[in-house]
Amino acid sequence: MADVEQVLRETVRKLLQEQKVCRVIGYARGSSALRSTPVFIEDEKDADSLVFDITCGNNLTQYLKKCGKAGDGRVGIVAKGCDGRAVVQYIAEGQVKREGILIIGIPCEGVLDHRKACDKTQGREVSEYRIEGEKVVLKGKDFEVSLDKFDVLSDSCRRCRYPSPPVHDVFITEPKEAASQEPECKEFDEFEKLDASERWAFFENEFSKCIRCYACRNACPMCYCEECFVDQSNPQWFGKSTDLSDTMIFHIVRVLHTAGRCVDCGACERACPLGINLGLLNKKVEKEIQERFGYTSGLDPDETPAMAAFDEEDKQEFIL
Amino acid sequence: MSDILKLDKKRLDKFVAALLSEYRLFGPVEANGLTRFAEVESADALKLDSNTDESAKGIFFPQVETILTYENGKTETPSGPDKPIAVLGIRPCDARSLLMLDKVFGTGKYNDSCWTRRYENALIISVGCNTPRAGCFCNWLDLGPFSKQGSDIALTDIGDALLVESCSEKGRGFLESSDEIPFRKPTDDDLSKAAGVREHAESSMEDKVDISSIKAVLDKSWDSSLWDELAGKCLSCAVCAYLCPTCHCFDIQDEKMPGTSRGRRIRIWDTCMAPQFTKEASGHNPRPTGKKRIRQRVMHKFNYFVDVFGEIACVGCGRCVRSCPVNLDIRYVIKRFMDAG
Repeated sequence: MADVEQVLRETVRKLLQEQKVCRVIGYARGSSALRSTPVFIEDEKDADSLVFDITCGNNLTQYLKKCGKAGDGRVGIVAKGCDGRAVVQYIAEGQVKREGILIIGIPCEGVLDHRKACDKTQGREVSEYRIEGEKVVLKGKDFEVSLDKFDVLSDSCRRCRYPSPPVHDVFITEPKEAASQEPECKEFDEFEKLDASERWAFFENEFSKCIRCYACRNACPMCYCEECFVDQSNPQWFGKSTDLSDTMIFHIVRVLHTAGRCVDCGACERACPLGINLGLLNKKVEKEIQERFGYTSGLDPDETPAMAAFDEEDKQEFIL
Repeated sequence: MSDILKLDKKRLDKFVAALLSEYRLFGPVEANGLTRFAEVESADALKLDSNTDESAKGIFFPQVETILTYENGKTETPSGPDKPIAVLGIRPCDARSLLMLDKVFGTGKYNDSCWTRRYENALIISVGCNTPRAGCFCNWLDLGPFSKQGSDIALTDIGDALLVESCSEKGRGFLESSDEIPFRKPTDDDLSKAAGVREHAESSMEDKVDISSIKAVLDKSWDSSLWDELAGKCLSCAVCAYLCPTCHCFDIQDEKMPGTSRGRRIRIWDTCMAPQFTKEASGHNPRPTGKKRIRQRVMHKFNYFVDVFGEIACVGCGRCVRSCPVNLDIRYVIKRFMDAG
């Protein structure tokens, strides 16, 4: 990724120099070799702090609404495929203006699920890592482990079709074509084979771990409501406890609210401190939307989102 | 040295049985891909070789606790536990955090009966950290992977056996009265193994940073521009606060069963990172921005708590470091203030 990083830094430096953007949202090295952290660059001298590699998992799109002040100029955003799709969805939903955003596309080969890497190293500090073909080698004080990259990739990256953003203004190196079809995902196929009660039991088990920290919601670019339904207090719609009925209702309403909008970036799942499998539920809903309404989120900024459109031909056999 | 006993790991069941005869026993249990504290009834359920994903505070200060129930205008408060609580396999960082929480809920100005009835007679049995994890920084807080503060009994894992050491009168009393536990006398080899394990654990941690001046630095940092920078990336979620063994803020909610006169009053964890935390009934919110909220959390731990209780409200367990979704690493935050101050 070194070349990509060089080109990225040079590109951002130039964009800032030429005042094509007022700031750039990107990634900097975090506090350990396996972590990156969001960074906001306004001074071209800081462009060298930008990094891009397998650790850059945050979906930066959610910062667009925080970062863009009126009259400031365009905001640049370093966008993997899924970040780019979230930006497109923002444009389609009228959350940002296309001309206010400069999309810096970057080719993505999937990002690390930090928990998976941690499990493989028994939680020990990884001081450096390197990619060797399809292997990731993690090195610490007194150990070195070589792992299949696939095994430590985020689940959403394993099934990703769109490694590059569908829309971009500049691209760091060359965009990668979208795959003609979704990569096979055994986990999802097996999940789909379950009947309704088995799926319910699966999610009961997952959501029983939830501590209502809302990291999933807050890391999600599509959860941009000014006030979330679970936070409303007058009236208060839902209970605040971790009783299963309360946690389930939160997750169910959230997934319905992101139906046809979720870009399957996996930011929610990576943000969860307790490793709740949120991706399968998101993916299932995404597939339902595709099958019923022929809509895939985050591909075309000019297409009306599925939940904002009505067509008499829409399938509606599910309406009781 | 005479206080140190040895217990073969395969006889841990006897230790657990002795505990169960007097206590409700909690310990780290692996289930559903996580290691969490849960009530246990046999030694087989215990997972002593790694720290828990969540802290131990929930044993004494549950995330959701019913403080009263009501029906037809009559209220009832739940009774306390029938047996005192023992915790086996807590790490030194979490054991220490309980002392801090006790200052807030137990021995300080206020006595919180929900806390006291669980913690007051509890037996805390810690196990030293042979392998501190990435992000652990207890050594910054005058602790270490084998600290004994807050423990009644401290265990050291030396492979096939545990060394068992009492650290309080309560701990000593339990060990002396438990004849049925087949303790042995440790050999010199066992003791040197334990010393080796300790040394390896301590040297595997990153270097200690002296943060003793952090309170004074923060006294002058109220208007620092660093708060804006931190708030810029903070997601305002509750990962840090809910995984934290010392965060102790709570909310109280009344829940009525629709269509009945029945309901319950619950106490639930709350977090200063949430915008609703300080929202008043009038709609006014004195801490409306992320900047003010993150400042509150850092100040509470590293400044106000020092003012009130004379110590930093952090034990360096590293859970927030490992789990913050945007890698807003508290070690980095503290270092930045120290460097600027």
